[in-house]
Amino acid sequence: MNVLNTRGTDYFGMLVAAIIAASPLAAAAQTAEVNLPILVPITGFLSLEGTSQRNGALLAIKNAPSSVKITSEVTDTGASPEGATTALERALSRGKVSAVVASMLGTQMLAMLPVALENKVPLATVSGTADITEKNNPYVFRFFPGDAVAKGAHVRYVLEELGKKRVALVYQTTAYGQSGRRHIVELLKKAGIDPVMEEALDVSVKDMSPVMGKVQVANPDVIMLHLHGGPSALFIKQAAAAKVNLPIVAGSGLSQPSTVALVEPAELKGVCAEANASPVAGGSPEMEKFLAQYRAEFKTEPDGFAVGQYDATAMIIDAAAKGARTPEDIRKALSSGSYKGVAMTYKSDGKGNMANSAVVICYDGATRTPKIAKRYD
Amino acid sequence: MLLQILVNALALGASYALLALGFVLILNATSAVNFTHGDMVMAAGYVAIALFSIVPVPGALLLPLVMVAMAVLGFVFSWFAYFPLKNRPPVSVFISTIALGIVFQNSANAIYGAEPRKGPPLLSEGLFEVAGITIGKQALGIVVVAIVLILAQHLLLNRTGIGRKLRATAQDRQMAEAIGIRVNRMIALTFALGAALAGAAGLMLSNTFFVTPTDGTNYIIKAYIAVTIGGWGSLTGAVCGALIIALFEVLFPSLPLLIPPLEAIAPWLFTQTASTILLYLGLLAIMFFRPQGLFGERVQRRV
Repeated sequence: MNVLNTRGTDYFGMLVAAIIAASPLAAAAQTAEVNLPILVPITGFLSLEGTSQRNGALLAIKNAPSSVKITSEVTDTGASPEGATTALERALSRGKVSAVVASMLGTQMLAMLPVALENKVPLATVSGTADITEKNNPYVFRFFPGDAVAKGAHVRYVLEELGKKRVALVYQTTAYGQSGRRHIVELLKKAGIDPVMEEALDVSVKDMSPVMGKVQVANPDVIMLHLHGGPSALFIKQAAAAKVNLPIVAGSGLSQPSTVALVEPAELKGVCAEANASPVAGGSPEMEKFLAQYRAEFKTEPDGFAVGQYDATAMIIDAAAKGARTPEDIRKALSSGSYKGVAMTYKSDGKGNMANSAVVICYDGATRTPKIAKRYD
Repeated sequence: MLLQILVNALALGASYALLALGFVLILNATSAVNFTHGDMVMAAGYVAIALFSIVPVPGALLLPLVMVAMAVLGFVFSWFAYFPLKNRPPVSVFISTIALGIVFQNSANAIYGAEPRKGPPLLSEGLFEVAGITIGKQALGIVVVAIVLILAQHLLLNRTGIGRKLRATAQDRQMAEAIGIRVNRMIALTFALGAALAGAAGLMLSNTFFVTPTDGTNYIIKAYIAVTIGGWGSLTGAVCGALIIALFEVLFPSLPLLIPPLEAIAPWLFTQTASTILLYLGLLAIMFFRPQGLFGERVQRRV
């Protein structure tokens, strides 16, 4: 009995030791390590949007589960394509990259695509430029309604909700602006409508009085804008000053709270904008929670780009938490999975377009807080 | 509408004129291009916003404070960007001003963030309505303020002792030194004066067109073009060059409003994109055929 007791004790001790020894290993095996560089424009004409991307990504990283260990570094891509490719190449040279939070500037995304393909690293962006998912590149994932969805909502609202037919279209000369213009004109043509007036504006144009004059001469019944944030605010302000009393339906640039802060509430009367989401308009417990966290963390209001990038980053983190360990695993998870984010449920259409919903928000002229006028899924 | 467009063009030209004047003052005094000048305009916009947040009064009352603050900045700037390099080749000053401009941009971004901000109006925003004609209050205010400042600068340089010293320094530094003028002090004062004018432009532009940390690049290009068109080193030329830029930016695309058949003949020509192309083609033409600028050497008078 003595021998049996001794052996039993030995076996029990060995079993306990094995369990203890196995526990840290078991824990380590469950911890995913994700290297997630954030390459966004912090300076340059899209610095506002890039900052939103950065903030959204950082908040998602902060909210990551403990089973995912994230290494991340923010790098400014500036405003040039070469700035973005340099940033990406530098990030890739520093070690194994799981996925990249990538600039929302269309020209920069287009420059990064070949590098991502060569290195087989997924890019998650909120760029609205249509072309980025038209290059047969399986490594790009757009968490923002592409032009097909966003401009679809934009045009449908003008035609179906407002019932307008005489459209004046003002758009930016950037890739974003020209891409959006193409989609808008195509959709209008399908409805048998040609714009009564079109004008392209460079981002450096400040005085828009020539455009206002042309709008008034063309006698439209609605103005559609597809401009970046700052120019959108300038247009609204100058339209009010020129007493252009027409409904204005703008692009997502005007859905940003920081853009809206530049104009007086009264100047926003009759103004609507399409967006992927409008965090400040709330609408769900998840959005309210996101809004509160974002305000507390960054002391500013989030916009659609912030919530889109938050959801994009959260989906990558979620993939890692569920076992994705390599960039290819993450790519597969993004390509084939669906994810219920704060703004919407994301699922790839096969080309990397993950966001398939858009909203139109409208301002009542009394406050700067919009209401969601229509949702398009 | 047409009168409003004309006033807007004059207001824009007036702001550009202040910007260009400050640029050419420093150019004449130092023979060096100050690439930070556009960022001075940007910085002035933020100074105006900061002052307005402390003392919420109309911009016209803040204007002297902004100009003094920018003059101090210009004075300090000269000791970092110019004096340590004044005996080196001119490209050294050119590079140092680019470097300091980047410092300004990134500092503004770090302090205020990337989003556009709006400065205070000179008096108020909104419109005057006189005999059925609507004119923006801010636009009219800019024209008035710019005229006052340009006249004041002209009187300073031409009717005061200090102005004569500034002009002597700009004309011939060695001779000025030989006759007892403290050349370094005059150069620092020129930097201060140039920055003060940039300050005025910055306050006014920050309300009409907002301000972002990256605006400086656009403004320095405008100043450069104005001075090249008007005549390198000519104060009158700088003002005229600035007005020409504003005419291209605002009036040229508006011509079909004055002459409606133009829209039918060549609608692609009278757009803001085309007017920008034409402006730069015109600049090239001036450089090829009249390199001294419109006002050239004959009427050029260095500060």
